[in-house]
Amino acid sequence: MPESAPNTLCAERLTFRRGRRLVLDQVDLTFGQGEILALLGANGSGKTTLLRCLLGLLRPDGGMVRLNGEPLPRLGRGRLATMLAYVPQAHVAPFPYTVHEIVLLGRLPRHGLWRSVSAEDRRAVEEALARMEITALRARPYTELSGGERQLALIARALAQGARLIILDEPVAGLDFGHQMRLLACLRELAASGFGILKTTHHPDQALAVATRVALLADARVQADGPPAEILSPETIERLYGVKVERLSSASGQQTFVPRALSMTTKHGAMEYQP
Amino acid sequence: MLKDFHPEKCGSRSGTLGALALILCALIFHALSTGRYPLALGDILHFLAASCGWADMPGERYALLYNILVEIRLPRVLAAILIGASLSISGAAFQGVFQNPLVSPNLLGVLSGAAFGAALGLLLNGSWFFVQASAFSCGIAGVFLALLVARAFGQDSLLMLILGGIISGAFFSALLSIVKYAADPENTLPGIVIWLMGSLSATTLEDTLWLLAPVMALILALSLLGRWLDATAMGDDEARALGVPVGFARYAVICCATLLSSVTVSLAGMIGWVGLVIPHIARLITGPGHRLLLPASALLGASFLLFSDLVARNASSQEIPIGIITELFGIPVFLIVLRRARRGWNA
Repeated sequence: MPESAPNTLCAERLTFRRGRRLVLDQVDLTFGQGEILALLGANGSGKTTLLRCLLGLLRPDGGMVRLNGEPLPRLGRGRLATMLAYVPQAHVAPFPYTVHEIVLLGRLPRHGLWRSVSAEDRRAVEEALARMEITALRARPYTELSGGERQLALIARALAQGARLIILDEPVAGLDFGHQMRLLACLRELAASGFGILKTTHHPDQALAVATRVALLADARVQADGPPAEILSPETIERLYGVKVERLSSASGQQTFVPRALSMTTKHGAMEYQP
Repeated sequence: MLKDFHPEKCGSRSGTLGALALILCALIFHALSTGRYPLALGDILHFLAASCGWADMPGERYALLYNILVEIRLPRVLAAILIGASLSISGAAFQGVFQNPLVSPNLLGVLSGAAFGAALGLLLNGSWFFVQASAFSCGIAGVFLALLVARAFGQDSLLMLILGGIISGAFFSALLSIVKYAADPENTLPGIVIWLMGSLSATTLEDTLWLLAPVMALILALSLLGRWLDATAMGDDEARALGVPVGFARYAVICCATLLSSVTVSLAGMIGWVGLVIPHIARLITGPGHRLLLPASALLGASFLLFSDLVARNASSQEIPIGIITELFGIPVFLIVLRRARRGWNA
């Protein structure tokens, strides 16, 4: 994708150290409008660190992140927030804010501290609620929602922000099977309507099902980056997670990975990734 | 009661604040009219009109009313409003910053520091102004020490701030004990103890008028910062991703709230429970959004302290220290509020 393409987030030779350990080593990663990029990696592989660097929350030790060609530090938090949104894992708020209040927070980068909430802000909130089909929940306290509903509210907040690029941290974590599938469908719809989506995930199956691109993070580097069907194979999954799997195809042509045998002897953790 | 409450509904913000302001106004008139020389509402309005030159009043009567209303009752009323509003809004702000509904303004050691400062001023037999200045500056020193400790151990983390507050509070409590131990048990010690119970009886009109503008400005500033508090309540990373400068927001709120709490101690000593209880009652009325919660807390706190002072003045022939009244009222109210509020906390 060319550098000048609209709404592109681009990490160049990103390096990050924690103490003497190299967490990210010259990582290059780009994503933009219309894409769903699934970032896979074992626990502790640096996914969260990469995510926080991409969001401008961590300052990398080397390299830089550019949004539409401009380095993040030069953009300023306020402007960045109108272009790039962050959806964390569903969490618990300390005070019982209503869903409407949570989504309205997405307008904070636009109306700031001084201006009162405008008609445009209200419209954006209503649209976001409607799009996530949670208008009925608007007056419910966020603290009383289920995990899936909370995740939808947080995505609605990202939509209200008006950003075209959205970064999600394990959006399906803790959701039941039905909610997981509905959330994936919703992400696919968003990407089809022009949003760019980057999500971390622990489910190769789901990456195969909805992602337009997959990036594998291991040993502090992006080991592979490309279309899911090319990148995700039993071999790469074994290298990534240390588990032997085989690929199955359903009657309708969908593919999935199943573990060959569960055994405790499989090496895992600090294993070397051999391309 | 709150199930079908929609804070986003048009006009409900100004409606809630208006209603609370109305209650405060009614209490102000009530406080001005009650006392050893009872006055009717008509008397007060007549006096107001006369002092504006709109009505005639015999000179002798005017002098009497001026003495009762402006010289005796108004300073206390103003002080009660300023102190109640300051303690409540800083309590609500601290609860927002620390994302914990059980936090009181003393979390970072501001009240402990101010108490020590005032006791030190009394020990040194300083003038009234010296005592106030000493209380105010030691209150700020208390929070400064807490921030210093937090900084030394871990950047901006909330946990370190709380630990810093505990250390600073303990340090100044120890210093206060030294001062009490050193104080002359015949004269100075009782003065310190009674002063620590809190009282509005020593406030003067000059004090309160001078403080009116800065206190109002700080209350306004905190109310404006409320939206940032809503974002930081979601967590630091999320707030930053929403464009909020988290560190700056946190220190700005702590700074405003500290100045406000220090002012209250320097005016009237230690008045407990207001800063913890009032934000909870306000939250039941307004919901958790800080843009509305903070000004509502200020209005409600002003009313609560005005009411407590009325009781302190009139419950018995001898005035009761107001700090005792707020504690006696605060505890049962807090128990009732806890029952209602616990539902939404998830803490």
